[in-house]
Amino acid sequence: MNKATKHVSKLFAAMALAGMASYSVAADTIKIAMAGPVTGAVAQYGDMQFIGAKMAIEQINKAGGVNGAQLEGVVYDDACDPKQAVAVANKIVNDGVQFVVGHLCSSSTQPASDIYEDEGILMITAASTSPEITARGYQLVFRTIGLDSLQGPTAGKYIAEQVKPKNIAVVHDKQQYGEGIATAVKQTVEAAGYKVALFEGVTAGDKDFSALIAKLKRQNVDFVYYGGYHPELGLILRQAKEQGLNAKFMGPEGVGNADISAIAGEASEGMLVTLPKAFDEDPKNAHLVEAFKAKKEDPSGPFVFPAYAAVQVIAEGIQKAGSTDTDKVAEAIRSTSFDTPTGTLAFDEKGDLKDFSFVVYQWHANGTKTALGE
Amino acid sequence: MTEPLYYFIQQLLNGLTVGSTYALIAIGYTMVYGIIGMINFAHGEVYMIGSYIAFIVLAALALLGLDSLALMLIGAFAISMIVTSAYGFSIERVAYRPLRGGNRLIPLISAIGMSIFLQNVVRLAQGSRDIAMPSLITGGWSIGPEEGFHATLSYMQLVIFIVTFITMTALTLFISRSRMGRACRACAEDIKMTNLLGINTNNVIALTFVIGAALAAVAGVLLSLYYGVINPYIGFMAGLKAFTAAVLGGIGSIPGAVLGGLLLGVTEAITAGYFSTEYKDVVAFSLLILILLFRPTGILGRPEVEKV
Amino acid sequence: MKRLHFKAALLSLAVVVALTGLLLGVRLEQQGTSLSLSGATPDVLWKMAGAGLFIFLFNLLRDWIDAARGRLPALPGVPGGISQLSELVAVRRLFWCFVIAAAIVFPFFANRGAIDLATLVLIYVMLGLGLNIVVGLAGLLDLGYVGFYAVGAYSYALLAMYFQVGFWTGLVAAGALAALFGFLLGFPVLRLRGDYLAIVTLGFGEIIRILLNNMTWLTNGPNGIGGIDKPTLFGLEFNRRAAEGAQTFHEFFGIAFNTNHRVMFLYLLALALVLATLFVINRLLRMPLGRAWEAMREDEIACRALGLNPTHIKLTAFTIGATFAGFAGCFFAARQGFISPESFTFIESAIILAIVVLGGMGSQLGVILAAIVMTVLPELAREFNEYRMLLFGLLMVVMMIWRPQGLLPMKRPHLELRT
Repeated sequence: MNKATKHVSKLFAAMALAGMASYSVAADTIKIAMAGPVTGAVAQYGDMQFIGAKMAIEQINKAGGVNGAQLEGVVYDDACDPKQAVAVANKIVNDGVQFVVGHLCSSSTQPASDIYEDEGILMITAASTSPEITARGYQLVFRTIGLDSLQGPTAGKYIAEQVKPKNIAVVHDKQQYGEGIATAVKQTVEAAGYKVALFEGVTAGDKDFSALIAKLKRQNVDFVYYGGYHPELGLILRQAKEQGLNAKFMGPEGVGNADISAIAGEASEGMLVTLPKAFDEDPKNAHLVEAFKAKKEDPSGPFVFPAYAAVQVIAEGIQKAGSTDTDKVAEAIRSTSFDTPTGTLAFDEKGDLKDFSFVVYQWHANGTKTALGE
Repeated sequence: MTEPLYYFIQQLLNGLTVGSTYALIAIGYTMVYGIIGMINFAHGEVYMIGSYIAFIVLAALALLGLDSLALMLIGAFAISMIVTSAYGFSIERVAYRPLRGGNRLIPLISAIGMSIFLQNVVRLAQGSRDIAMPSLITGGWSIGPEEGFHATLSYMQLVIFIVTFITMTALTLFISRSRMGRACRACAEDIKMTNLLGINTNNVIALTFVIGAALAAVAGVLLSLYYGVINPYIGFMAGLKAFTAAVLGGIGSIPGAVLGGLLLGVTEAITAGYFSTEYKDVVAFSLLILILLFRPTGILGRPEVEKV
Repeated sequence: MKRLHFKAALLSLAVVVALTGLLLGVRLEQQGTSLSLSGATPDVLWKMAGAGLFIFLFNLLRDWIDAARGRLPALPGVPGGISQLSELVAVRRLFWCFVIAAAIVFPFFANRGAIDLATLVLIYVMLGLGLNIVVGLAGLLDLGYVGFYAVGAYSYALLAMYFQVGFWTGLVAAGALAALFGFLLGFPVLRLRGDYLAIVTLGFGEIIRILLNNMTWLTNGPNGIGGIDKPTLFGLEFNRRAAEGAQTFHEFFGIAFNTNHRVMFLYLLALALVLATLFVINRLLRMPLGRAWEAMREDEIACRALGLNPTHIKLTAFTIGATFAGFAGCFFAARQGFISPESFTFIESAIILAIVVLGGMGSQLGVILAAIVMTVLPELAREFNEYRMLLFGLLMVVMMIWRPQGLLPMKRPHLELRT
């Protein structure tokens, strides 16, 4: 190729870039895309993320914004459908948004993050816990929630060292989140010398688990770990009690909200849950909880505060970097720590939280919990 | 030694419970199909709406302090059936009647659209969160030895069996004995001819939808009481299973729907109990394919006569 | 004679009250562990009252409304000249050339979001055209088409993961495997008729999805398969940095790296696949096989009397339809870079079927138009945010009522006997 054509094509490329860039030079608002399910079967978890992120944006704006600029949250609905997530990601690129809080489902986050990394968009997920997401050496992908691979061992160790059950069963909901944690728990307890009597998946969205419970009962299982979310475990607890299965149950943070007690009632008493520290019960966050309650929103979901923290990390990252250049912001995020409602957050090279510890709680039938410590 | 026996009984009871509810929903599919030959995909959503109404009525009665069990049950059943009947009636009026007589696929797509629409109406009105309610009817009997494994039959399961049985009997009597039932059967036989004989077939079809919807409400109330958890998306899977049950039994046949529902429920429970929960749907659908291979019109379906 | 339909109006008002009163008027709320109710906002109540009043008046004054509607001038139809013109082969050719040319230059003028959306549309066009063979031409109701789509996507993804197979080889393999599945499923089930066939195919689609989800050792189960390679252009990659032993597109042509190139390339590739699909199907339609499909749809008994083998004909329709789903699946996997079983649920089958029916069964231009409508509508409706799917469902109903024969029903040159 000769020099002249090279020149021309460079010019074209430059024009194209300039055309794109002109979108993002909006004067004094910084757009933050909130991507997650507004519709679809998991919309309830999307809600948790949205109310958290919106609250953060509102409060940061009230406090004067970021470097004089106001934040503007834009909701993008991916319905937790990977296909729509890619379309949403491309739309976000197109709209010139440079910061994303989301997505929710790991299966949406993964393909979308490919695009963000390519396009220099900074993404912080507040809910996707699959280890795969940050394991690909991406520079602009962060998360403000712990990994499945972290939570599983915590639970497994607690089972092996504290509970010491005779007969363990591990059940999961055949979804990325649930099966990931369940597998980690199984490996940990097996490493500690226990035998897992039953490792089985159920269908998320099912209502009837009586067949599974009869099976557990027959095998004299006295401890069940469930990897998944609260609607299924709630029903399992409820039906287990009706069928007279005497076993202790344990689950990850996906089951740890008051709804499980609403579903299972008395049967949820004594269940064990690994949770990040309960943010909404931290006295430090009392004013935030009040603010949510004033808007008639429920701050108890597991993703509300991580989403709040994600927005805050972006805002403070921009402030520290002094620009909205995402590479610089990412550098700023990696180099400092943030004082957020979910604790002091610091990020490692991969973009994960440096220490995000899970605590084992005992659940009570009225929807409250007590920490059991180590 | 008798442990395997009790285990089997337990799984059978579990399967029959699930199967009964499939059967109740399946009847709605089968009746509509029998008369106008269309698959009413929105039927699962009617069941979902029935569940929501049951929850609302029960919560309202509890708030008013009227917590006698009989009153609550009667209230939930009655109001839920009325509301879903209105839905069945309106869905037919709005989405299917204008399409009658054309290609069979057209109302199918309209029904899928209706199903998406209703799901979202409820999601917008009631939120997408799971809503839960404590059990009203608790306790049960154990069958088998005190020590070791014993099967349990909860009172709620018994209620489900009884209500299903009563509803089925009433429906069968209605179809076989009453004037309207006779009109329904006539329509199923030949809708044009029935029309010529001076029967208002529009009314008969509307009635079919209303009855189907009311039965879906019965299933909705029973299942809200039994499981105690609802969200706007429960209708889809329930509808799919019930539809499978209806085809399994021979679509268009009411006893077939009952048989199909029970068979499907028991198959699922036995698979989950003896093999793996993960594969219960695979086994259920494989059974369906197998049965249809040997009986191409379902277990109790009438063989189709090819007409030139 | 005009009269007030008082009884009907009251009845319909009662129905509206029953429909909305409890479901919209009261909201269930979970407070901690207990359930409580709250009334709807006045806003919602006003809307409910408005709907009730509207229905009441509509029914009350139905005679006048019908009369007024009768007086409205009928919508102008397509002038006879144009419809005759469209019959002309030359005009048709010109039209298609224009459409194709517009589709080719489109990515050079559109923005990235639009190109990406257009790529998605093209995937659905491909799926629609494939299902059109089965449903529209051969008249077999298939509710599990997504199963073949999944087979195609997973064939490529698995081959890429375990054997580092490239996109082009994967495309062939995906098509072949999907065809094999179509053949294997078609063999036993084609004895079934109508809705029985529908439910069996539905069951098959579900079985495929559940198996993909359960066979974690092979497919990674619900974790899905990530890092699937994007297609290459004669070995040229569309990456910032080339992999070992490969060259990138922008280095080869000496232009600045721009990620939009990849989006554009994916679009053009999808377009090429769609054009190839269209070409093959049109050829097939002119062959005896294609004629036999349509004959089978119209009258199976007559076909048998003419000595056509129905099993053979249905089986080819099933297999060829499945092949195109396999191609579409392979391309989908490449576009996403990540696939998991949740992309292949029943609702996907329903949407593809809706595309075929809405397009006007058997009509290829109709399928293309319907794929655009069904994919772009939900995207346009994004402005309505949480009302998006509500409107989508409603539109599906309205479109079926408005045009039950489809957007562009298939026309065949035919003679009608005068009676």
